[in-house]
Amino acid sequence: MRLAVVVHVTGILVRMFSATLLAPVAVAASYREWYDAAGFGVTAIATLAVGMLMHRAGGPGAADAAEQMRRVEGLGVVAGSWLVMAQLGAIPYLWAGLGVIDAMFESMSGLTSTGATILVDFSAYGRGFFFWRALTEWLGGLGVIALFIAVLPRLAIAGRQLFFAEASGPTADKLTPQLRKTALVLWQLYFILTAIQAVALYVAGMSLFDAVCHALTTMSAGGFSPHPESIAGYQSATIDWIITAFMFVAGANFALQVRAVRGSRSALVQDEEFRAYAAVGVMATVALTFFLLRDGMVFFDAVRHGAFQVLTIVTTTGYASVDFDLWSSQAKMVLFLLMFVGGCAGSAAGGPKVVRHLLMARYTIRELKRTLHPRAVLPVKLGGRVVPDPIMRDVVVFMLFYLLVFAAGAAIVVALGADLLTGITASIACLGNIGPGFENVGPMANFAHLHPISKIVLTLLMWIGRLEVLTVLVLFRFEAWRNARWSAA
Amino acid sequence: MTGATRRSNGCGENSHHDASISKQVPLESWFVRIIIVGGGEIGFALAQALSQSNEVFVIDHAPSVADRFEALDVQFLLGTGTSSDMLGRAGIDGAEILIACTGLDEVNIVACAVGNRLGSPRTFCFVSREEFLHFEEDRRGLEQFGIDRIVWPEAQLAEDIERIIGVPDAIDSEVFADGAIRLLEYRLDRGSSIVDRRIADLHLPHGSLIVAVRRGESFFIPRGDSVLAIGDKAIVMGTPDALSDVRREITGSAEIRKQRVTIIGGGDVGFRLAERLDGAEGLEVTVIERNLARGEMLASRLRHALVLSGDGTDLELLEAEDIGRSDVLVSVIDNDERNLLASLLGRQLGVQRIITRVSRRANLRLFERVGIDVALSARGAAVASVLHQITGGATRLLAVVEQGAGRILELDVPPGYSARSLREMDPPRNSIIGAILRGSQAIVPRGNDRVQPGDRLIVFTTHAEADRVRNYFTRA
Repeated sequence: MRLAVVVHVTGILVRMFSATLLAPVAVAASYREWYDAAGFGVTAIATLAVGMLMHRAGGPGAADAAEQMRRVEGLGVVAGSWLVMAQLGAIPYLWAGLGVIDAMFESMSGLTSTGATILVDFSAYGRGFFFWRALTEWLGGLGVIALFIAVLPRLAIAGRQLFFAEASGPTADKLTPQLRKTALVLWQLYFILTAIQAVALYVAGMSLFDAVCHALTTMSAGGFSPHPESIAGYQSATIDWIITAFMFVAGANFALQVRAVRGSRSALVQDEEFRAYAAVGVMATVALTFFLLRDGMVFFDAVRHGAFQVLTIVTTTGYASVDFDLWSSQAKMVLFLLMFVGGCAGSAAGGPKVVRHLLMARYTIRELKRTLHPRAVLPVKLGGRVVPDPIMRDVVVFMLFYLLVFAAGAAIVVALGADLLTGITASIACLGNIGPGFENVGPMANFAHLHPISKIVLTLLMWIGRLEVLTVLVLFRFEAWRNARWSAA
Repeated sequence: MTGATRRSNGCGENSHHDASISKQVPLESWFVRIIIVGGGEIGFALAQALSQSNEVFVIDHAPSVADRFEALDVQFLLGTGTSSDMLGRAGIDGAEILIACTGLDEVNIVACAVGNRLGSPRTFCFVSREEFLHFEEDRRGLEQFGIDRIVWPEAQLAEDIERIIGVPDAIDSEVFADGAIRLLEYRLDRGSSIVDRRIADLHLPHGSLIVAVRRGESFFIPRGDSVLAIGDKAIVMGTPDALSDVRREITGSAEIRKQRVTIIGGGDVGFRLAERLDGAEGLEVTVIERNLARGEMLASRLRHALVLSGDGTDLELLEAEDIGRSDVLVSVIDNDERNLLASLLGRQLGVQRIITRVSRRANLRLFERVGIDVALSARGAAVASVLHQITGGATRLLAVVEQGAGRILELDVPPGYSARSLREMDPPRNSIIGAILRGSQAIVPRGNDRVQPGDRLIVFTTHAEADRVRNYFTRA
């Protein structure tokens, strides 16, 4: 690993990130929140300065060396830049008066489109502040590096390693031979869907500001809401259904959606993962509706809240159309299981992803079959194609580490004073980039009361979860650093 | 012991004998020029079958093969079949048919292209790789190369085997007249209700007819007073509907249960066969392939079939996987000895029907003698399919049965023929009219049915009677 290359490329990405801070400056200014606007301005300048410094620090040879980025360097850049961007993105929260740990938590929660918050009193902050929260989720949802690849022609060559390290799911789909075009097409679709949703919410009765913020955090499967009671605060079935529909879209593979829009109408239906994703959604909704009816809810409310909560958890968005923490244990059990599912690969959703569960199930069946027919040749197939062994191995290792990291996170949070259900759900809600859990971290509660070390651990879990575990964990290996040196030479 | 009904391919026949017959009785008015490029096994078999009634030219560049063709009534030309000069000497401009069957696909394709440019023959192009077979789907692609038909022997063999497997309990099967008439061969077991009874008393369903019986080494066409015995192989002809009723009487079982098919060897034939059978209703397919990489390829392409990596002659594997419980075992390895071993192991383990691929002609009879139900060769299957497509004249040989002991002829009844019922006829001994084809109708005749001018007859007869049968029916 050549650190100069890592720092240099990270610098380029951070420099780009500073531009995104101009948006909240404008929003804050338009609402005459001058103090907040100044905060965003300062952050933008600080970010630009850090980016420039890192860019320069790489030295003259770094730019050329970056053309041939190695895999481990790509992982380093992705993991590093997400960490640095989260830190810089926390400056506006510090400016608004949050503590360092809380600001970091909130910023990481935003960028990883988790939606877990430490905010207690929503009324204390301005519009610019909430817009920035929503915007970070939107940027992080589809992948901020993918956005920069789409915009920045120079990154196209070096971007290859970055794109695949950041993309979610075991395999990333390239829509066009050119990576930059792929990134561009995906971001275009993402932007258009967000715009449509914002209009829909506005028409359904939200204020323009709220509509935009919710569109940004729905399409990114984020879950931050400027409203202290989340979606439940609007008390509107229309809004619930609009958001339910767009959450479903956000949890589906965007590359496939592009294909479907471009003319191959059956692209989505033919995809095994999408079918499984839809099936999980339907079955969970039926199960949840059943329990809600049993608990005395009216049918239409049961379906509406059932579908909403299922999708908010399965796509790892993390809104709430009702305080589901008050539901019966049976209903909560359905949601708890869904926390371990996640959306489709190549979507804005977090979590382990449906495709990994599919592959794991087939892998298990394969091994069972092998005990009956020891000499059988049994490839694991997906969509009629054989899944290569290296990918299968990655999936198994991913699931293993995912559960391990989840258990470790839960253990730490509980050890530091949280009750069992709070600790367990806080851990999976952060690792899976969902947002709310149950009990003291439920949809109407927040993470502010947790032990500071718990918050730091959960911040790391969000980071690890968003970059799909292995990208980050590889950097904790000694081998990755043994051959590390500064310059390319 | 022999078993297979096989489309006439000349393989199991005695060549000089046939040749002498056709010289004595020059029946065929259909006499055309056929050019065969390539004098290998396939070219020889084709020349042998076609030379009786056609003007056949064989082109090959190897002098060593020339001797073999001395025995046949054909013109052998030494040279390359892709040169226009050579094709010109073979009289390409007046040729009706060009068959390119060298061992090289590219040579065959070029020969067809050149031949097509020089004259206007129907061209048959033999290939050995799958990629060329896809020409078949794209007619324009074929036309560009001047090819009318692509023949891939391995694919043909797979198709033949599939057809045989497609009829449960029967050991062999053949279709005529576009499926309107079928021919099935059954081994009569203890459970069968037709043994130990006179055929006249059987009351088989309308539209079905027992046309031949094989008992040990003897082969005969039964009469009303013949009695069937356990262990006989009965060949039944009829319409598909009638034959499904016949099946019930012969095998004594009503329902069609799930068939387990084991294919040993996942080569070209094994793979294509597995692909065709894969996912078919009521079939459970297992493929045993020795090469692991090949096995992985098979497993990736087959959706339902179970692919085992191992040797088909490995008794332990066969026992562990319970291969003995298979209904059909198809051994299509590229090696006759190992095929035979795998097949015999299968028989030993109790497999009911065994179909085996044979590469060397000489092994064909041996295989059936040691208990293989059906032995087939890829070349034979391909040659047969070509011969099947080259039809013409008033008499056509549709198939040979039991290694040439029985033959199935298709005859055109001439216009001057005076119509009469079967009862009024006195056809040669050891011959039987299996079906009358009239327009789109297929009739399995009884005594009162009449033969009219313009009918086509499917006649079953023995080798020795073939010529007399031809004379009897085609003379006005």
